[in-house]
Amino acid sequence: MTGEADEHVPPMGDLLDAELRDLQPVAPRRPWRDVAIVTAAAACAIGALVALLRLRRDLDALPTSWLVAYGAAWVASFGAGTWLALVPRRGAVMPRWRLAGIVGAVAAAGFVAAGLVFAETTAFSLVYAPTLANHLRYAAGCVALGLVTAVLPFVVGALLVRGALPVGARAAGAGLGAACGAAGGFLLHLHCPITHAYHLGFGHGGAVAVGALLGALLVPILAKERSR
Amino acid sequence: MDGEEIALMARYCDGDADAFRRLYARLAPRLLGYLLRMVRDRAAAEDLVQQTFLKVHRARAAYVRGADPVPWIFAIAHRTFLDDVRGKKRARVQVADDGAPPDLAADITGAPDGTRDGDDGTRELTAATLAALQTLPPAQREAVVLTKLGGKSIVEAAEIAGTTPGAMKVRVHRGYEALRKALGARPGSEGGP
Repeated sequence: MTGEADEHVPPMGDLLDAELRDLQPVAPRRPWRDVAIVTAAAACAIGALVALLRLRRDLDALPTSWLVAYGAAWVASFGAGTWLALVPRRGAVMPRWRLAGIVGAVAAAGFVAAGLVFAETTAFSLVYAPTLANHLRYAAGCVALGLVTAVLPFVVGALLVRGALPVGARAAGAGLGAACGAAGGFLLHLHCPITHAYHLGFGHGGAVAVGALLGALLVPILAKERSR
Repeated sequence: MDGEEIALMARYCDGDADAFRRLYARLAPRLLGYLLRMVRDRAAAEDLVQQTFLKVHRARAAYVRGADPVPWIFAIAHRTFLDDVRGKKRARVQVADDGAPPDLAADITGAPDGTRDGDDGTRELTAATLAALQTLPPAQREAVVLTKLGGKSIVEAAEIAGTTPGAMKVRVHRGYEALRKALGARPGSEGGP
């Protein structure tokens, strides 16, 4: 099974031959530039939404260490997921989809758990009656806002990786979706004044989990190679 | 990693059609050998090779300069095969009612049946091995084809098939054991492949 068996080269089909007659140069993918583009898209989305919706009202009252640590976790999760879903190891074409999928799953579970465990509240935070209906309503609102934030970087990332994932697109999609969901989580961290543990877990962490699921569903479609 | 394939892929991305033809000449026989073992039908395998290269052509902007294109192209062939199986239900065991292997066969290099060297015993064993290969589940068949026949490492085969090295190792082991059993049960046989 070697490439030297020239006498056994199957003939090139007419369609392929026709494509070659009109061969145009293309710019190969530059993964680090892609990461920069997705990061810029996420920063634009977060910046625009913060400007539109304003920062949370209890920002000054929250412990700085909690605020910084939680914020850093959102940013790190975005960076790690995006990097693994877009950048291949040296000498490879396909991104590290398996690791991206694992990191996406861990981030989804981790942010839900962290929200339930590490909630901080202040006198300026928004408190609602802790009924199931309220939990669901507010969580759904924050998941939706997180996903709105995630749409632009996610679509840009999926299109940039188009054709590079003949296998592993679902895992890479979960990683990219979770990463962009984490960008949404970062926006919620800056904007949402609700500090109930269930809300932080299922509302803010839920954006990562739902982002990972949607990414796993959509990237295999969006990242397919173009057909003419 | 083969430097010439990397250089050819880079020149192809720059619009050099001759580089693509040379890349095709280097890789098409290897892909054909792999796909023949998977579909056991020369015309279908050649069609899958064409589809694979069309996909490579359309996705060439996804290539990363300096990267080895071969695992990526094999992964595209793997995906093309799976899509074909799902679309056309072609993953049937193609063994005749009397248990004989089909007329059409090919050797490890993808050469047509009639062009192979070897005595009758070797040919018979090859035919029996190929027939037994078709009785394996597709995932195990692919694992055996990529590693035992294609010379890929476990890690390379796992990357192509989109699975973990551990899972690939299990598939190879199970496939190889199934082949040994199938060939051991042949009349007059004394061992496995």
